[in-house]
Amino acid sequence: MKQENKLKGRDLINVGIYTAIYFVIMLAVAMLGMIPIFLPLLSVIVPILGGIPFMLFLTKVKKPGMIFIMAMIMGIMMLLTGMGPWPLLTCAVAGILAEIIYRSGEYKSAKKAVLAYAVFSMWIWGNYLPLFTDYEGYFAQRESYGQAYIEAVQKLMPLWMAPVLLAVCFVCGILGGILGRALLKKHFEKAGIA
Amino acid sequence: MAYSSAAAQGKRKSFLDPRTKIALVVILALFVLGSLGGPRMEPVKTGLSALPFLLLLLEKQWRRFLRGLVMLEVGYGLLGALPYLPGTLNFIALMCGGILTRFVVTIVMGEYLISTTSVSEFISAMERLRMPQAITIPMSVMFRLFPTIQAEWKSIRRAMGMRGIHLGGARAGQVLEYQMVPMMTSSVRIGEDLSASALTRGLGAPVKRTNICRIGFRAQDIVLLLLCLAVIILWLIGFFGVNLW
Amino acid sequence: MVEIKNVSFRYGSDDAGVKAKNSLKAVSLTVSDGEFLLLTGPSGCGKTTILRLINGLIPAFYPGELEGQILIDGQDISGRELYDTAHRVGTVFQNPRTQFYNVDTTGELAFGCENRGIPENEIYERIDDTVSRFHIESLMDRNIFHLSDGEKQKIACASVDVSGPGIILLDEPSANLDHASTLALRELILHWRKQGKTIIAAEHRIAYLWDIIDRAVILRDGAIARELAGAEKDALTPDELTALGLRSTVMEAPTDVQMPAFLAGDALIRLRDFHFSYRGETENIVDIPSLDIAAGEITAIVGANGAGKTSFLYCLCGLEKRCKGVMEYKGAVYDRKARKKLCFMVMQDTSNQLFTESVLDEVLISLPKNTENEKDRALEILRELDLDDYLERHPQSLSGGQKQRLAIACALASGREILLLDEPTSGLDHAHMMETAALLKQLRAMGTTILVVTHDSELIHACCGRLIAF
Repeated sequence: MKQENKLKGRDLINVGIYTAIYFVIMLAVAMLGMIPIFLPLLSVIVPILGGIPFMLFLTKVKKPGMIFIMAMIMGIMMLLTGMGPWPLLTCAVAGILAEIIYRSGEYKSAKKAVLAYAVFSMWIWGNYLPLFTDYEGYFAQRESYGQAYIEAVQKLMPLWMAPVLLAVCFVCGILGGILGRALLKKHFEKAGIA
Repeated sequence: MAYSSAAAQGKRKSFLDPRTKIALVVILALFVLGSLGGPRMEPVKTGLSALPFLLLLLEKQWRRFLRGLVMLEVGYGLLGALPYLPGTLNFIALMCGGILTRFVVTIVMGEYLISTTSVSEFISAMERLRMPQAITIPMSVMFRLFPTIQAEWKSIRRAMGMRGIHLGGARAGQVLEYQMVPMMTSSVRIGEDLSASALTRGLGAPVKRTNICRIGFRAQDIVLLLLCLAVIILWLIGFFGVNLW
Repeated sequence: MVEIKNVSFRYGSDDAGVKAKNSLKAVSLTVSDGEFLLLTGPSGCGKTTILRLINGLIPAFYPGELEGQILIDGQDISGRELYDTAHRVGTVFQNPRTQFYNVDTTGELAFGCENRGIPENEIYERIDDTVSRFHIESLMDRNIFHLSDGEKQKIACASVDVSGPGIILLDEPSANLDHASTLALRELILHWRKQGKTIIAAEHRIAYLWDIIDRAVILRDGAIARELAGAEKDALTPDELTALGLRSTVMEAPTDVQMPAFLAGDALIRLRDFHFSYRGETENIVDIPSLDIAAGEITAIVGANGAGKTSFLYCLCGLEKRCKGVMEYKGAVYDRKARKKLCFMVMQDTSNQLFTESVLDEVLISLPKNTENEKDRALEILRELDLDDYLERHPQSLSGGQKQRLAIACALASGREILLLDEPTSGLDHAHMMETAALLKQLRAMGTTILVVTHDSELIHACCGRLIAF
């Protein structure tokens, strides 16, 4: 029987359920990110923990579009919580790529699932873009905070950190995906919800 | 007198249309948090910063208003105290002060949006913005689940306290797993029940959904939307090199 | 008219246990227009499965192997989309907390009509009509999270009513309700009956419906065991009911059960200054200057939904930080922190208090540190509670009753002397309810003090010796 590819009510509700869990985890971590030292760490912790709900989510994904919708909603939520429009763009790109990768594994390959999640995680990079796209301007704005502050942040976030952070998102996405798969096997499949 | 849902819906309407609120959040995120346009837009930025506080006052959200104001005061206080503080303390004060003064305004605006908009108003606004059901249905499920996830989380932490499982206890490494697994299991099961109930009530039918919640632009919305437009035009003028001041 | 013609169904789950249970074997059933039918029988007999066939959740939502035909008003509904069936069939589900989609009550009432695209003004009229007939003016424009379970279930019924389907399905709607809310539910059902709706209810607690139904269908292992109507139904004796695995048909308010709260000779647990209010509220939901509880006995705690019974249990086992009360027990005074090590609470939703990946592990982490022969001790406890067949099962995959047993096993392993249970028998059939009662009596014989919050008069009669009304 050919699988119908149109998303139905149930698929959309599933997207909502897992996006909600993912968002809550991200929000809990982002509270830490308010402290500048932790800012780069966001690209480490969020992909690792987020892998747990995402891997479970992927077991429900059998049709194209669900991953992309999740990404777009994350972008909208970032916009609404005042992170600006950059994440919307990175979410769209990361969402489409993750969608294509998972689809190429016919919605069941475990390796492709981990890879898709790692690529999906790269949307987080969009949160750093306001800093990197206008590096000079960003610090010119903060001259009043004193040289010590600017130097500290510049030490923490030099321009070359931009590609590094993107890579960190990806690598930690792989780790998070593997962690998610492990918990899936250890708990969720046995518990009968996967 | 008999209950009238239409009258009740009309009465509940908040000062602004949700679409206006969303536009304001975006503008504030761009110009206040993101400092778009640089020093040239500084006066605009100061003006915009006052806006969320004004709106909270108008909606009689005293507590949120005061909390935001206090955070902002603390931020500026810390920055003001800088010359009198020694090395490390100076640095910490600077950091906290810098963050508070930057973030508080956008956070207050976000709080305003969330606290004065009901889920149905928000969904109704999204529908009017021609968002497809593929976005509005998952988002309404999310807003519905947030309080549930919070409650489950609390209940799990309590249960762990009772079982004597603590951070720093014998199995500290597994605490995270112990929290995440039941939290996700419960949330997913609740989500399943929710789906079943929603689907038996016709969610996802291929018709144009209606929405009983009444939203619409009024004079104050027009004024604020024009303001947003003005800010963008100002920025564009500066962007193309015209210097107004 | 609803016709189920020779229908067999097996859930498409990989879990063999689920597959064998809950399936249907060649069931045929016809419900005529305006009839009120009760489906009852032991857990897993297939009554919920029949409701899911009629509202279309099977096979659209719960896939599996389906044979036979289901007709509504002569039309085959298999292969139909759920939103088409939604026009004709409305369902009230068991759990009041998980069936609402909106956060505000008015939005919830409008939900079904909005999905159908009915014009706003007509929806307003329909809501106002339902609100006045159901007398729920005071519940409108409220946050559903702030309502009691009884009120939530009223909103669920009202939401079905606004959509105006001809067939109404009730899936154990009273499982979480107190006596007064159950009576209110009965009134709503009577109202629908007067309107000529076809009503099909699946229930364990049959007492509140028994005298207003037209026919009772008793299922067992996925097949119809017996049908009762008219005089035959009314003449059924308590022994016959028990033989059929059914609960009592007599309604009794738990607060009417005559039982002492404390007897002169009882060993004493004295509570002092138990006060607690929710954050941001001035009124105390728990307000107990002093209370005497009989140690070594089973005490029932009864009262309406929202009377603070569950909060009281949380205070008692030391989980509410803002409750400063103390407990005097065996000559010692226990403050909040000390009570945490003395009391154990089996929560209403036990799945939130089980954390590990196997039943055995769950008990192992509960044992005090440095226990000798940890594994033997754990196995011994599990044997006592009849859980030794499930050692390697994932706790979250157990049935509700088994999870409860496992939670109790953890309490025993950690050596707690006082056991608190919150609604342990909601949604349990007669046999499982009696099993819980027997287990509580067994624990009592082992010296445990038990407090059980319940709406279940049958459970109180079966095992409790003391009763405190809130």
